[in-house]
Amino acid sequence: MFEMRGITKDFDAVKALKGASLSVRPGEIRSLLGANGSGKSTLVKVLAGLVKPDGGEVFIDGKPVRIRTSYDSKQLGIATAFQDLSLIPTMTVIDNIKLNKETVGHFGTIDVKKDRRDVEELLKLFRVRCDLDAYAQTLMPSTQSMLEVAKAVYAKPRLLLLDEVTATLHHDEIEGLFELLRKLRDEGTAIVYVTHRMKEVAKLCDSATIMRNGETVAELARDELNDLDGIVYHMTGKVPDKAKACGAQAAAAEGEALLEVSGLKYSPKVRDLSLTAYKGEILGIGGLDGQGQSEFIRLLLGEFQPEAGAIRYRGKEVRFRRPAEAVENGIGFISGERNREAIFPLRTIAENLFVGRTATGGLFKFIGNRRVNGFAREAVEKYNIKVGELEDPASSLSGGNQQKLIVARWIAVMPELLLLDDPTKGVDIASRREIHQILRQCAQKGMTVVVSSSDNDELMDLADRIYVFYEGRVQALLSCEDKTQERLVAEMMGFAEKEERANG
Amino acid sequence: MAEAIRRRWGHFRRQPVFTGFCLFMAVLALNIIIQTPAKFFTVSNFRILLSKNMPLILTCLGQSVLMMCGVLDLSTGIQLAFVNVIAIMLPQELGVPVGLGWACALTGGVLISLFCGFCIVKLRLPALLTTFSITYIIKGVNVLIMGEPQGKVEKIIYKTYDSVLFGFLPFAALILLAVLLIWQYIKRTRYGRHMYAVGNNPRNAYAVGINPERVQMKAFLIKGFIVGLAGLCLTASNASGNPLQAEEYGIRSLSACMLGGMNFGGWGTLSCGLFGAGFLVIVQNAVYYLFNFLTKAIQGLMINSYWQNLVSDTIIFLGLLATIITAKAQRETLKQGFVKQLKRGEKYGG
Amino acid sequence: MGSGLRIRRFVKYNRPGMALVIALFLLLITVLINPKSLNINTFGSILVQTMLLSFAAAGQTMVVISGGVDLSVGSVMSMAAVITTGIMQGQGGRFAQVILATVAMGAAIGLLNGVCAVRVGLPPIVITLAVSYVVTRLQYVFTGGMPTGVAAALFKKTVQYRIFGLIPAATMYAVVIWALAFFLIHRSRFGKQLYLTGNNESAARLNGINTRKIRVLTFVLSGVFSAVAGVLGAGYMGMSQCQLFDNYAYNSLVAVIVGGSLFVGGVGSYFGSITGSLVMIVLSNGLTVLDISQPVRNLVLGLVMVILLTLYNRAKPIRQ
Repeated sequence: MFEMRGITKDFDAVKALKGASLSVRPGEIRSLLGANGSGKSTLVKVLAGLVKPDGGEVFIDGKPVRIRTSYDSKQLGIATAFQDLSLIPTMTVIDNIKLNKETVGHFGTIDVKKDRRDVEELLKLFRVRCDLDAYAQTLMPSTQSMLEVAKAVYAKPRLLLLDEVTATLHHDEIEGLFELLRKLRDEGTAIVYVTHRMKEVAKLCDSATIMRNGETVAELARDELNDLDGIVYHMTGKVPDKAKACGAQAAAAEGEALLEVSGLKYSPKVRDLSLTAYKGEILGIGGLDGQGQSEFIRLLLGEFQPEAGAIRYRGKEVRFRRPAEAVENGIGFISGERNREAIFPLRTIAENLFVGRTATGGLFKFIGNRRVNGFAREAVEKYNIKVGELEDPASSLSGGNQQKLIVARWIAVMPELLLLDDPTKGVDIASRREIHQILRQCAQKGMTVVVSSSDNDELMDLADRIYVFYEGRVQALLSCEDKTQERLVAEMMGFAEKEERANG
Repeated sequence: MAEAIRRRWGHFRRQPVFTGFCLFMAVLALNIIIQTPAKFFTVSNFRILLSKNMPLILTCLGQSVLMMCGVLDLSTGIQLAFVNVIAIMLPQELGVPVGLGWACALTGGVLISLFCGFCIVKLRLPALLTTFSITYIIKGVNVLIMGEPQGKVEKIIYKTYDSVLFGFLPFAALILLAVLLIWQYIKRTRYGRHMYAVGNNPRNAYAVGINPERVQMKAFLIKGFIVGLAGLCLTASNASGNPLQAEEYGIRSLSACMLGGMNFGGWGTLSCGLFGAGFLVIVQNAVYYLFNFLTKAIQGLMINSYWQNLVSDTIIFLGLLATIITAKAQRETLKQGFVKQLKRGEKYGG
Repeated sequence: MGSGLRIRRFVKYNRPGMALVIALFLLLITVLINPKSLNINTFGSILVQTMLLSFAAAGQTMVVISGGVDLSVGSVMSMAAVITTGIMQGQGGRFAQVILATVAMGAAIGLLNGVCAVRVGLPPIVITLAVSYVVTRLQYVFTGGMPTGVAAALFKKTVQYRIFGLIPAATMYAVVIWALAFFLIHRSRFGKQLYLTGNNESAARLNGINTRKIRVLTFVLSGVFSAVAGVLGAGYMGMSQCQLFDNYAYNSLVAVIVGGSLFVGGVGSYFGSITGSLVMIVLSNGLTVLDISQPVRNLVLGLVMVILLTLYNRAKPIRQ
């Protein structure tokens, strides 16, 4: 019997877990559900020993245990298959599976023959066919995922944690895997299955734990697993809304297309994307994490180059080789991943605000402090950014104010096309509302806004039309009456009334 | 049979050591031509090549052990001088018996290597700049121990070192073989695998339960031992002491490993270091004989020895660039093959 | 605000100012230990040498702020010095040729460094170190190990002469070079992009800055500034030797870091590099005055850097 109670974890300013709990019995397959950012991956990492919780306790068979390192986790009989894979890319299949479990033969050397036999047997069990001596990085993603699971199962764990392992698997492979998991369950293994695919939950799992915003909000039994509405309610925390009046759609219908994307392809996340954005509209891009949204934004920006497909911007086909080219052509980029992609923590607030102007223009032109500070002072007033001093480093601002800064930085430059990738992640409600207001005003002035968000409320609020991405393709386009929370979540989960795709 | 050979070759081509192997073979062929096979394939030629260059070769091997684990040490070169001065000064100044003195020197090499390891692994300081600075520290220490180049080594030691056994096997080669044999053993232990995993992806190695810090410190231990040996070889080869020598072996061993196909992050094996070292040695040798030939062939052509060094350094620099470019190409083809597989997979109902 | 708090703030946040304080402190100690060193000549020479080092540090500052390192500064300086005396041969009127040749050389070396470090992807330390070896070899090849010629007399005067025995005439060079460096780093768009690139390269790139161009440019500028420093260095020494200014590579790096630039980039100031240069020269001068031997100097230099790295540059652990 494995139990976690009251687990808390803060990453710098973000509260990933706020008293989450999870329990699973031997001989049970429990699914762990939650929207983006609900904390389910973090919770799994705590059990795996990769994240040290700030508070809470873990019990095994009623006795409290301390998981200090991943080694402890292994010793306690816990094995994990990670979403982002824990294989060593430049080691062979055999070496990877046997890593840290190698059989020792004569004189302390590894018994290579026995290792090979063991791995052959294991792969036969999993019905995986691949060259045992191939380097892991040369294998297909589906094979890699299967190996990741095989590696975990090989450890003969008491508790098996599977974090989104079916993302790249084919239909048959999933069936085979499920058979194996059921067999393991019947033999007494406890299994935690993290997924976003509702159909799999219904097919495989005995129970479910639902998380939202770092807390555990519900635990469902087998018979409740088919109630999609109920699950959506737990995951989002509210009853699905009635559709709002569709006013702004008019602008889109009349407008000219600023951006036309067709057949865009970028392995492995973007398979075949086609969409259109009109001048002066706010276009939303929804979907679960990792369905190709952020890759799409970066393809538009020129950070990535597509393998196939075309992008038409301002009526001409374009191929930006780097973001600098896109920015010169009137494109702006606002990222929710502030620390990695937008904020310069050691630079002053004034400099951070001036970035839009810094990026374009003559390289050796004089830029005086007065100009920078003047610009910054205006921006701070106009957008109501709470700062101490303009010379303070940007890291001193709160998340919400940082985000407002980033928005201000780009609005001041008035790009034609503004790309936003999860812009209000971790931002407080008030700042979020202010940012939305600013974006709406810009769209009215003629700016085209493309906003990708994992927050459905935000999409519903802001966007005139919403494209839903699922596994690298456009799953649906919602506008006007279609634009409801229920429809949005259903499309996100791939729970469409349309014909099923082979990927399940 | 042919199929098996072709598969083996294909597998070999994808190994990182392949670039190093090709580079080495190319210059080796060039060298044999320039020096003429008659003069190249002589025992005395091998003896000189190996005994003079064994310190460098061993240093490259040691550096490759580190790079396999994802770390490195630019001060490796000057550490040889450290071992050298201890080996000379202990018997000379303190009357310690030579055998014991040399053993202490070896231990000293290990200890100083562990000190570097401590800074990089435990304190998590940036490897390149830290070890570069440690070079200055060791330089200071060396000169404090031995002010001026001096000292002598017993005749029997340096005679043995330069000798040839059984009429064809240079003594220096024996030392190299010993190190390679020890490595073959280590490679087959669990620790050997772990080194590889840690070098390539410390986070994933940690996820499997390996302790990356311990693995990397052990690598510094092994490298310290190899460098200690190299320092002793240097002492025997020069038959004297010099506190400021071999400093450039640090960057050269790094270049050698990269030439051999290694990258910063556990992609490569000891053989990369071996072929890279071979490349360095053979290039210098080839250039020397080439200039010899040129001065003899063209009347009155005066080239000062500085040209020689320049040419060999430039060749090595170009080889380095070539390696990186081929490594990038390798990665690209890897990605292409990857994408092709995906496409194929999709055709069959993906 | 209590004075205690103000002092603590100064120590923590005003690195250039702190460097100045440390320099004066070291100077005081040196004078106390050896009162004879308290004379105009010593001060004058400290000033000139600080200027020279600060010229070399100008390029280094840019490279470090962008997140790299340039260890070829010393060899480029030495090469420039060799070229200077080689062209001048004690004759006046050849200054323009000297500047042209040396700046072209510095820019070319810088371009090589930049392209290899940025496009090929080799770490800057390795690349600049390897290039410095090649440049050093070139010096020997061109001069046969013994550079000929001396600096022109008038030129020497402009570097060595001291007004009232204290204020160096070289100040006029300093005014130009300091102004140029200050403009580039602190008042130009290039400088602004430089800081952003160094602080967060991916953010800079995604926000429209051509980070590759900036980084290559820093190496080119570093080569140019090092070359100019080498020309003036030749004037200061009067003659040149192979590898004459090699230690400027490491010294300029320490000066830049002491002056408050972070090794990881994104933070720093040229004023800090100037005061950092002062610290290095005063330290070096002090060690000479105290008759400290070369090995201990090396030891001290190495230790200083390791300590600075331990204080300001440790990486994050794997487990969060």
